[in-house]
Amino acid sequence: MANHTTVESINPADLPIPPEGAFRVIRACNTESTDAHQLGRLLERDPVLTIEILRIANSAYFGFSGKITTVSRAIAVIGQRTLRHIVLCVAMRDALKPGQLPALSVETFWTNALRRAVCARALATHTGLDDDTGFTIGLLQDFGLLVLFYLNPNRIAEWPGLAELAPDDRYAMERQLFDSTHDQVGQQLAESWNLPQELSLAMGFHHRHPTHDIDDSKTQYCHLAQCADWMAAVFTSADKRHTLSNCQALLDKHFGVPRVETDQLLSQTNELLSEAAQAFGFDVGDQVSYDAVIQQANMRLLEENQNIQEMNWELENVLKERDRVAAELKQELDLAREVQRSLLPTDSSDQLSVFGLNLSAKAVSGDFYDFLRLHNGKVAFCIADVSGKGMHAALLMAKTSSLFHCLGKSLHDPAKLLTMINREIIETSIHGMFITIVAGVIDPETSDVVLSNAGHLPVIRMRHYQPVAEYPALSPPLGIMPETLFQNETFNLKHDSLYLYTDGLLEAKITAQERQGKERLINIFGKYAAKPPVERLQYIIANLRQHCEEMEDDMTLLLIEGAS
Amino acid sequence: MGYKIEETAGFAIVHLEGDVDLSRSPTARQAILDCLQERQHVLVDLTAVTYIDSSGVASLVEGFQVSRRMSLDFALIGVSDAAMSVLQLARLDQVFPIFASLDARLAQTDPRT
Repeated sequence: MANHTTVESINPADLPIPPEGAFRVIRACNTESTDAHQLGRLLERDPVLTIEILRIANSAYFGFSGKITTVSRAIAVIGQRTLRHIVLCVAMRDALKPGQLPALSVETFWTNALRRAVCARALATHTGLDDDTGFTIGLLQDFGLLVLFYLNPNRIAEWPGLAELAPDDRYAMERQLFDSTHDQVGQQLAESWNLPQELSLAMGFHHRHPTHDIDDSKTQYCHLAQCADWMAAVFTSADKRHTLSNCQALLDKHFGVPRVETDQLLSQTNELLSEAAQAFGFDVGDQVSYDAVIQQANMRLLEENQNIQEMNWELENVLKERDRVAAELKQELDLAREVQRSLLPTDSSDQLSVFGLNLSAKAVSGDFYDFLRLHNGKVAFCIADVSGKGMHAALLMAKTSSLFHCLGKSLHDPAKLLTMINREIIETSIHGMFITIVAGVIDPETSDVVLSNAGHLPVIRMRHYQPVAEYPALSPPLGIMPETLFQNETFNLKHDSLYLYTDGLLEAKITAQERQGKERLINIFGKYAAKPPVERLQYIIANLRQHCEEMEDDMTLLLIEGAS
Repeated sequence: MGYKIEETAGFAIVHLEGDVDLSRSPTARQAILDCLQERQHVLVDLTAVTYIDSSGVASLVEGFQVSRRMSLDFALIGVSDAAMSVLQLARLDQVFPIFASLDARLAQTDPRT
């Protein structure tokens, strides 16, 4: 964006200024000490201005039709204050002549300004404010926009688009285009021209909320300017519904004008505009009637309602679709759960010395255990926990379980078996997922055990109800590094039991702050030591479930019994 | 809420804090991976971690694996007792380079040179 204009960067010398003669009269009008005689003499020095003022003062719009023939008569009849406003309006009208900004339709700008002026005057009359002040404010309040274009002629192509926006959107777009806004520029200009304060403040605060140091009477004029802006925009903005409803709301908010009275004020606007335009020598052409405005606003409302209806239908369809997908997903999950259950061993018997139990917290689980009889009579077993939860953990669990079941039949050395499984897992592992696992082999005849713990929780060895040894992890989990070395531990389990478990047991919450912990878990193992293995597993899990607040994680427990 | 990331001495330091569990680990993972994607050497500060579960550890593992593929440096610093007990139990202390502090890391031979 080239050539940004900020309030600070504006040099008053660069701006279009009113003709000198008019300027002198404005200054004189602003000075309390200037009397009617002095003012008359000033005006008489500028015959063109004098004729203009007499013409306007005599127009139907200002209501002195044909009565005023001299300047001194004008001052006597219409008063110094009104005269000042007329002079000001003429001066501003002449400040920027067509041709200064070739691509800008000055006529459209002044037509819009004049519309704001008649709206402000009508509303001022309706609400007991000074009507001439209202008219002048309406005419001048957007003068800053002309200045912005005057200083940024490269932005002129945006003018038609801006002209048909509602005031709030136009204001936002101005900020984008110029890095500045017409109200700030206008206020600065008004102050530099020493215009009366109620004018400069209304020019500066008809979009922004008036600051607290502005007294109530001047704040009223700021609100009047804001309302006039929206009233005029009702006829010019593309979105008439939005503009009309905001306009009605603002008039009600600031002046307590009910909707029906706002409608009356708006319906008179076109006639007033024609009269004022005639007074100021403009041709405003054909204007949109208020009936047409209402019709367009209603059409828009109808479209929006239709859109809402369509959106409701769409929403209804989306919800139906969601329910259908959810039902399908549930069916898929049930199937996945069934497949997963089928991966767990069913052949649990005293002859195998290995017993397991799994309880899933979710439809699918990241835990698993397995055991299988080998051709030499020994039994291979494992317990594992996949990091994370949900479907991706379940799929990795299925893969690891299959690898164990398949490779474990021929590879009876647990460390070597884990090395093989690790290499397979690494190739497809994603998202840093890993598997903690204990794999082992027991000879049910001799109770000789070889096991390898890869990143899993320590295996607890119990003699009846007392813990006698622990076999912690000697290597990291599967799925992290291809070069991981796994190690075996070898021992005889005669008279003892091994408890292999997943963190769902250890980290079960027994209160909001407290988790189960290893010590309490070992006590529970010991508590049911006298029970037969299958029953013992059920009692242990039942005890854990009874005391844990909510089952957050899968619980898997594997029990290996040495010969007695 | 995201984790604080600071760039010091040629490293991006990701400061994890509180419970790094299933609900927070995706944020931790993203923070670590974002730094690595920008080809930064990463230190993960676990000083203020009060609990880390397997999904949190998986975020660290993924960071470690990605850094190896990209030949970037990846280490843990100031590991809290709570986090260290989890890492040691799973023997992950054999996997991650672990340093007491940033200074301890800087005192080592710089693998980046």
